[in-house]
Amino acid sequence: MKQEIQRVFSFSLFAGIKSRRSRTFFLISSAAILMALVIRIYRLAGNWTEDSQVIFQNFLMSFFLQFLIVILALFYGSSMVVEEIENRTLPYLTTRPLRRAAIIAGKYFASLTLTTVMLFSTLLISYLILNLDSDFSIKHLLTVIRYAAVLWLGLAAYLAFFSFLGTWLKKPVLVGLAFGFGWESVIQYFPGTTQKLSMAHYLKSLLPQFTTSAGKLGFLFIRLEPTRPWLAVLILLAIASVSLVLACLIFSFKEYLFED
Amino acid sequence: MTAVIEARNLSRWYGNILGISEINLDINQGITALLGPNGAGKSTFMKIITGQLKPSLGQVRILGQPVWNNFRLFRRLGFCPEADAFYEDLNGMEFLTGLLRLCGFSREESEARTRWALETVELQAASLRPIRSYSRGMRQRLKIAQAFAHDPDILILDEPLNGLDPLSKRQIIKLIKEFRDAGRTIVVSSHVLPEVEALTSEIILIHHGKILARGDVHFIRELLDTHPHKIRIQSQAFRLLAKLLAVEDYILNITFEPERQAVVFETHHRDHFFNRLNELLLEHGLDIEEITSPDDNLQAVFDYLVGK
Repeated sequence: MKQEIQRVFSFSLFAGIKSRRSRTFFLISSAAILMALVIRIYRLAGNWTEDSQVIFQNFLMSFFLQFLIVILALFYGSSMVVEEIENRTLPYLTTRPLRRAAIIAGKYFASLTLTTVMLFSTLLISYLILNLDSDFSIKHLLTVIRYAAVLWLGLAAYLAFFSFLGTWLKKPVLVGLAFGFGWESVIQYFPGTTQKLSMAHYLKSLLPQFTTSAGKLGFLFIRLEPTRPWLAVLILLAIASVSLVLACLIFSFKEYLFED
Repeated sequence: MTAVIEARNLSRWYGNILGISEINLDINQGITALLGPNGAGKSTFMKIITGQLKPSLGQVRILGQPVWNNFRLFRRLGFCPEADAFYEDLNGMEFLTGLLRLCGFSREESEARTRWALETVELQAASLRPIRSYSRGMRQRLKIAQAFAHDPDILILDEPLNGLDPLSKRQIIKLIKEFRDAGRTIVVSSHVLPEVEALTSEIILIHHGKILARGDVHFIRELLDTHPHKIRIQSQAFRLLAKLLAVEDYILNITFEPERQAVVFETHHRDHFFNRLNELLLEHGLDIEEITSPDDNLQAVFDYLVGK
């Protein structure tokens, strides 16, 4: 099984790197760099004098956590099977000596690798743009590694969840959009335990400094009632694992019909 | 001896729509052609025997094993789908190597097999070009190459000659025959009788999801010969042509289309008709603008056979 997953991983990663869609999403991810440049220029002009770390944290919350990882996971996860059906390339995979579960697992890890590269490269560059000045120290790099780890965990969980939707539903993108930008955005503003029904809640719980942030976008997270970090990590890992297993199971037993 | 492919009471519905119904078949080594009009159930049958669809009823076994979710079986099976679909951003070399790697071959072995397969279908010169730049015929040949590159025992080819020019068709027919000579089992679907005739004499007629007849090509030809054909001729001398041919006993009916300067003949014997037509054209120096056969397709033959 491991070898089968590796084979699908290599093929999907290669096809993914060469695909036009990946270029498009690299461009979308690069918007972060452009935004960071605009903010930096704005600050150099004497505006927005808050600490650059706080500004980056706000930027991270509003763009990376609530937009970029959701959109990358949504389009890569939900299209994992749908794209093969729409392009009619699914038989090339399902008529190879591969377990069907290995096809989904291999494609998941390939998508995770591609999106991780997109995420990390833009995260690092935009961080450096906003923070590279005379006060910059190596300690700050540890902060960006921590952010990267949290975002990666979110990406892995969202990607697995949207992969599950992609194997299960005929039109997963619409449901995914409603979940990623509707439910996930709205539910976290609810007080008490209700907000714990979103993945974003657990991700924000891993960035506790935001609960007291005074940044301009602080209103985005002031209602957070954080879960303990170790529990948040466990829950996110559980969501990723269960979603991936469900996706593999559904794909193993479900028939996929082309629109003839 | 157990057949290579066995189907027993095989049925498949898509909701209320019938795909195939109670198909019982034994397919052995050699080339077997599934012949039927579009929508007859050929592709449904092929999707079931390649494990893409589950039967609603009945069962199918290949080499004595069930097909659905039997991934090990696919090492011995090659499938050429009907759809003109590829990973368009890859080139021919990458596409084939990638699919061979999925079969478990090492990088070196995959590359060697890819080179051999591309050479066999004469695509080596275009192997580094993106697939999206390939012509229809090149794409069809690439699709066939991916079906045999891993050297399977059984080849399932869904409309493999679609979109090929006559030369490419001849090459692919030759290739398929070579596979047969090497002892493989090949199932080919088509809706074009002459293509099937060029490939094999073992034909299964499929229509409305059912097997209508099974036999060699002569049997099918007989069926065709007894089916009245319509032949429409457009010519300024359409009335003279009608007069000259009306005396032939194989002409069953003549209909005029004066507004288009055309005449439609109905005949039992196309060959006799065309031979006589050629003689008359030469004798009288007549010009013809167009000859068409309004019902010259399998659908018309099948409709005739099932008594429509």
